[in-house]
Amino acid sequence: MAHDHDPGFDHDHDHDHAHDAFPDEHLPEGTVVDGETLARDVDEAFDFVVVGSGAAGAVAAHVLAKAGWSVAVVEEGPWVKTREFGERVYDAFKRMFRDSGLQVVEGRSYMPLIQGRCVGGSTVMNSAIAHRTPEDVLDDWAARFGLGESINARTLEPHFDALEQQLHAHAVADDVLGRNNRIFLDQAQADGMPARPMRRYERGCRGSGRCVTGCPNGAKQGMNVSYVPWALALGARLYSSCRVERVVVEGGRATGVIAHTTSHDPEVRERQPRRAVHLRARRGVLVAASTIQTPNVLRRSGLRARAIGEHFQCHPGYGLGGVFDQPVTMSFGATQGAEMTHLRKTERIKLETIAMPPELAAVRIPGIGQELMRRMGSFSNLAVWAVVVRAEAEGTVKPGWGGRDRVRLTLTRADMERTKKGTALLARLMFEAGAREVWPGLYGLPSVMRSIDEVRLIEEVPPDPRLFSMITTHLFGAARMGLDPRASVVGADFQAHEARGLYVVDSSVFPTNLGVNPQHSIMAMSRLAATRIAESASRTSAAA
Amino acid sequence: MKLTRFETAWAEAEMQAIFPGSSDEGLTDICAMDVRGFITQTMRYMPLQAALGFRVAVWIVALAPLLLLGRLATITGLALPDREKVIARLVANKSYAIRSLVLILKTLGALLYAGDDGVRARMMTSTTPASAPRPLVPLRTKRVHAA
Repeated sequence: MAHDHDPGFDHDHDHDHAHDAFPDEHLPEGTVVDGETLARDVDEAFDFVVVGSGAAGAVAAHVLAKAGWSVAVVEEGPWVKTREFGERVYDAFKRMFRDSGLQVVEGRSYMPLIQGRCVGGSTVMNSAIAHRTPEDVLDDWAARFGLGESINARTLEPHFDALEQQLHAHAVADDVLGRNNRIFLDQAQADGMPARPMRRYERGCRGSGRCVTGCPNGAKQGMNVSYVPWALALGARLYSSCRVERVVVEGGRATGVIAHTTSHDPEVRERQPRRAVHLRARRGVLVAASTIQTPNVLRRSGLRARAIGEHFQCHPGYGLGGVFDQPVTMSFGATQGAEMTHLRKTERIKLETIAMPPELAAVRIPGIGQELMRRMGSFSNLAVWAVVVRAEAEGTVKPGWGGRDRVRLTLTRADMERTKKGTALLARLMFEAGAREVWPGLYGLPSVMRSIDEVRLIEEVPPDPRLFSMITTHLFGAARMGLDPRASVVGADFQAHEARGLYVVDSSVFPTNLGVNPQHSIMAMSRLAATRIAESASRTSAAA
Repeated sequence: MKLTRFETAWAEAEMQAIFPGSSDEGLTDICAMDVRGFITQTMRYMPLQAALGFRVAVWIVALAPLLLLGRLATITGLALPDREKVIARLVANKSYAIRSLVLILKTLGALLYAGDDGVRARMMTSTTPASAPRPLVPLRTKRVHAA
C-alpha cells in the first residue's frame, strides 16, 4: 500500500506507547485555544471556519489546511487527551458526552441518543467501523433527490480510498477478536449466515474493549488522534470549549461565526466569565456540528428553509444479552468486532456484536435487588449482540429548553416488526451457540428465556416501541441536501440555498439513512465537499 | 437543580433497594459508596429535563408504598425487601411513563455502582466452576488363561 507523505499526516506507525507520544500530545505551539481558560475575548480572521471537530469537521479542516488555507475549527466540547481516558462510564459521560449521556429522542417512547461532545466528536466513543455508502442508497439519492451527478460511487471512491489508507481501515485481527465476537462469528458460520469481522480504523488495537470511554492506547483512529492533530500540524487552529451561537450572514453571505466560551463542568461555567469568540471567515463557513446541532445553528443564523429540522432519521439499536456456561469476558476484545449485513436490503436490519462496560450492562441486566445482584454475578459470562434497524420513521430536530436541542421521532410499526425479527434471530443464534439464558429485555415477556422454544414469544410481541428499550447513535437528515430549495436546505454543492459561503458538510445533509454505520460515509462526503470548496476557492483566488 | 435532604435520602434508599449488594455474589451494598455525593454531583451535570425526570421518579417511588402495599410510609420507612418489592412492581408497571421514570434510578445507580472498583472487579471475574476432572478410565483386567 502506498503511503501519503504529506506533512500533517502522521502515518505508518504502530506506537510503542510506553515511549512515544500520542498524536494528541506535543501539538504545535499556539494551535489550540481552550475556552475553559481563555482570559480575553477573541476576534480573529481565517479563510475558513469549521464548526465541529467530529468525523465531518475534522476531515474538512484537514483538507482545507492541506490546500493551504487558514482554518479555524470551533468545538463545543473539551479536548480529553488519550492519557486522560479512564474506564468509568460516568466520568466519560460527564466530560465527553452531550448532555452527560442523558440526551433522548422523544416520541411514543423515549430513546437514549448518544453523541460525543468533545474534540473528535462521536468518533472518540464509537467503534470506528468503516462501511462505504451502499450503492443502492446512492442510487436512491440520485433517483429521488437528483444528486446523481455530484454524489455517486465514482465521485466518492477516491475519498473512501484515501480515508481507508490514512486511517488504516482493516478487519479486526484474530488475536483481539475476543469471545463475544468469536461466538457470534462461529455460530453464524455454523448456521450458514454470512457474518464477518468488522472493518475498523485502528492501528495496533489491543482489545481493551474500551471504545466507549475513549481508546486508552490511541489505537482507535478517532478524529482526536488523527485529522484534528494533522490539521493543526498544517497550521489550523482549534478553539475547544467554544459553543457556536450562530453563523454571521451578511448580504446573503456567511462571513464568520459568533461563539462563546463554555465548559463541560458546571462549576467552571459559573466561576469563569464567558468570553466572546468572533471568528471571521474570508471564504466560507463549514457547519459540521452534527445532525442534531446543525439545524439549530442554522436556525439561530437566520436561515428559514422549511426543511431545516425536518426528515431526521436514525438507526435505532436493540441489544440482547445471553449467558453462557463459559466466560465471554467482554472486557477483552474489539468492542464491536463482528457483523452481518446481508439483511440490510431485504429486512433493513444489521446484526452485530457490542461489548458493554459493566455500568451499561447493569442497566440492561434484568431484575431489581437480589435478583439483579445474582445476575450481575454472571456478567463475565454475558455476551451482548444487537440488531440495528434502518428505520423508515422520520422525525424533527427543533430548539428545546435552555438552548438545548429537541429531537422527536416515533418508530413505525414496520420498524418495530423489523426490530422484533432481528431480536428473535439473535436470540435463536444465542441459544444455538450454547447460551443457557437469553435476556430479551422486552416488557411483557419473561425477563429470562431458557429455551429456544421461547423465542417465538419475541415474534408475538406487539410492535409497540414502548415495549423495547432501544437506543440510537447513527443520525441523519434534518438539513437535507437536494436540488429543490423548497424541500431541502443545501444544494448538491453542500452550500445552503439561502446563504453563499455557508456549507453544511455533516450527516444532516444526507437525504436518507444508510443501513450501515455512517462514519465512513460522513467522512467521505465531507472530504468530497471540502475538496470541491478548496478547489473553488483556489479558482476564485486565481481569478482575482 | 438540587434535591432537598429528604429527597436525597429517598433516592439513596431507592438505589439501595435496586443495588443492595450480595454476600453470596461478593457484591457490596451501594450504600458503602458515596450515594449522596454522587446524586448531588449528577444533578449538577444533568440537563434540566433529565433532572426533573429523576426528581419525579424519586417522588413516585418514595410515595408508592401507600398505593402498592397499603402502608402509610415513604420508601425510607420500609425494610429493604419491601423496598425491593415496591420498585420491582413499579418497573413492571403497565404505564410506560412510570416504568421509564423508575428506570432512571436504575440507570443512574448503575453508573455509580458498577463504576466502583470492587464491583467492577467482581463482575469481571468469572465464577464458572472449573470443569470437574474426568473420572479415571476403569481398567479392565484381562484374564490370562493359562495355556
